[in-house]
Amino acid sequence: MKNRNFYLWLGIALGALGILFPHFLPKFQLRMVTEIVIVALLAMTWKMMLNEAGLFSFGHAVYFGLGAYASVLGWLHIKGLSLMSGIFLGGVVAGLIGFILSVFLVRMSGTYYALLTLAFNQLIWAIVWKWRDVTGGDDGLGRFPKPDLLGISMRDPANYYYLSVAIVAICLLFCWYFTKTPLGSVMKSIKSNEERTRFIGFNVGASKIIFLTMLAFFAGVSGALYAQFQEFIGTSSIDLVMSTHVIFMAFIGGVGHFWGPLLGSGIYVYLSEYLSQYTDRWELIFGIVVVILVLLAPQGILGISKKRK
Amino acid sequence: METFVIQFIHGLVYGMLLFLVASGLTLVFGMMSVLNIAHVSFYMLGAYLSYTMFKVMGNFWLALVICPIIVAFLGILMERFILRRVHAAGHVQEFVITFGILFALNEAIKWIWGSENLSVPGPSALSGSLMIMGNIYPDYRLFILFFSLFILVFLAFILMKTRLGITVRAMVSDRDMASALGTNTPFVFMLVMGIGCWLAGLAGVIAAPFLGISSGMGLDFLTDCFIVTVTGGLGSLWGAVVASFLIGQLSSFGILFMPRFAIVFGFLLMAVVLVIKPSGLFGEKA
Repeated sequence: MKNRNFYLWLGIALGALGILFPHFLPKFQLRMVTEIVIVALLAMTWKMMLNEAGLFSFGHAVYFGLGAYASVLGWLHIKGLSLMSGIFLGGVVAGLIGFILSVFLVRMSGTYYALLTLAFNQLIWAIVWKWRDVTGGDDGLGRFPKPDLLGISMRDPANYYYLSVAIVAICLLFCWYFTKTPLGSVMKSIKSNEERTRFIGFNVGASKIIFLTMLAFFAGVSGALYAQFQEFIGTSSIDLVMSTHVIFMAFIGGVGHFWGPLLGSGIYVYLSEYLSQYTDRWELIFGIVVVILVLLAPQGILGISKKRK
Repeated sequence: METFVIQFIHGLVYGMLLFLVASGLTLVFGMMSVLNIAHVSFYMLGAYLSYTMFKVMGNFWLALVICPIIVAFLGILMERFILRRVHAAGHVQEFVITFGILFALNEAIKWIWGSENLSVPGPSALSGSLMIMGNIYPDYRLFILFFSLFILVFLAFILMKTRLGITVRAMVSDRDMASALGTNTPFVFMLVMGIGCWLAGLAGVIAAPFLGISSGMGLDFLTDCFIVTVTGGLGSLWGAVVASFLIGQLSSFGILFMPRFAIVFGFLLMAVVLVIKPSGLFGEKA
């Protein structure tokens, strides 16, 4: 019970801190915290794919990038599209693509699943990159409208921070709730033994498709939020490097823990930001950090504390 | 007609180069079930090392012998001190750690050699060209073709006829049983990793005068190389041969007919093959 109280107070303290952030943090820091919150949602969807279903996605940038592009194209071309509808549109398009891809993906597992997601990632990246008329190719898309929400200007970073936190919190709550539903349990049993799950009478393929579509939707929402946050969207949001960053984020924090991706994306964003200020070689240091981390703590940072218990 | 023949040979050359890199990757995967993403970094390292070696020694053939051995040695170190330690943690961890190595190695290479494009002249004995159906074709590219073919035969010979090859094949089909029967499996792992990296380094050296050396050469090759390995079936040498041939021709003729979408064809082929046969053309286990 004592443990539970502790976590409750920790949660309340973090929540209060989160609400107060914009009042005492400098603008630069606030931007980073906003970025952390947004990419944490993406890392969470990746982690859930691995942790709840045992699927290692190597092309997570597809959902993120398509969500971003879809929402931006919506804001650019549909007159009067509101902020929330744009974000929703991003999620829906990503979910739709996630549904189409998952029809092919559900037959795979392990390395083959990872590599087919890689293939789809590259395929869609190549299309986005080459389809200049719509996506702007290398130049990306910028200067799209940033609609107000209920009369509140989203140009204020503090307001946008609150909006991101609210949306991400709702999505995370849904993710957490999902693990408690019967479908969540089916996913867990597929992870531990797919054949037996099928034998008991569950429809493995359909369960996986629903699950992947849901996660693709959330990844798309994260992409749409990110597009409005950066006020620009380019091919770097959909390429392979983005996919690997997601994996790192989820991995640093600890894949076996619900809050791992949040911690991981926090560390990742801060590390990349500060390292790139001090040295041009931050990717070298980052690569070494990842190697050492996996060597010393194969279950991520949160995995260390679990082992000690 | 002449254009077709030239494009065909061109595709053949590129395909064989792909095969050299992909064969190492697929060998290592067949043994350890680990996809070593850092493999292309070793290819890159081979090319950069050959540049330095050429500067110092001024001899291409010497670089061709020495550089792959250095690369192989580094690969063995990586297996011994990094990969072996995470092996118990599971495939996902191994996969992620090779990512970290890729990042670190690529940046280290950029740091040491700079990010400008470098070029290495081919051997002077092969600087001439040949007439093929009224077209001039450089000797060096034909050398790549025949040299890779020679390596292919050499690999097939080792795998099929020697004691080491038998051990490797036994370990691919059942690692625990091979270990129980007295094979020193950790040692064979190290050896195979060394051979795989040696192949990557070799490909890097012979690719350097042909494709040039740049900091993006590893990642450019990564995608094609993965397409080959996966389309052919992970762990299958013959699959790698056939898939390299296909991808080489696809990219060669793709550029001729639809230059804008040439890069898409490879992925399309891979996606189609995987959807129809999830284990790849020649893969056994899905």
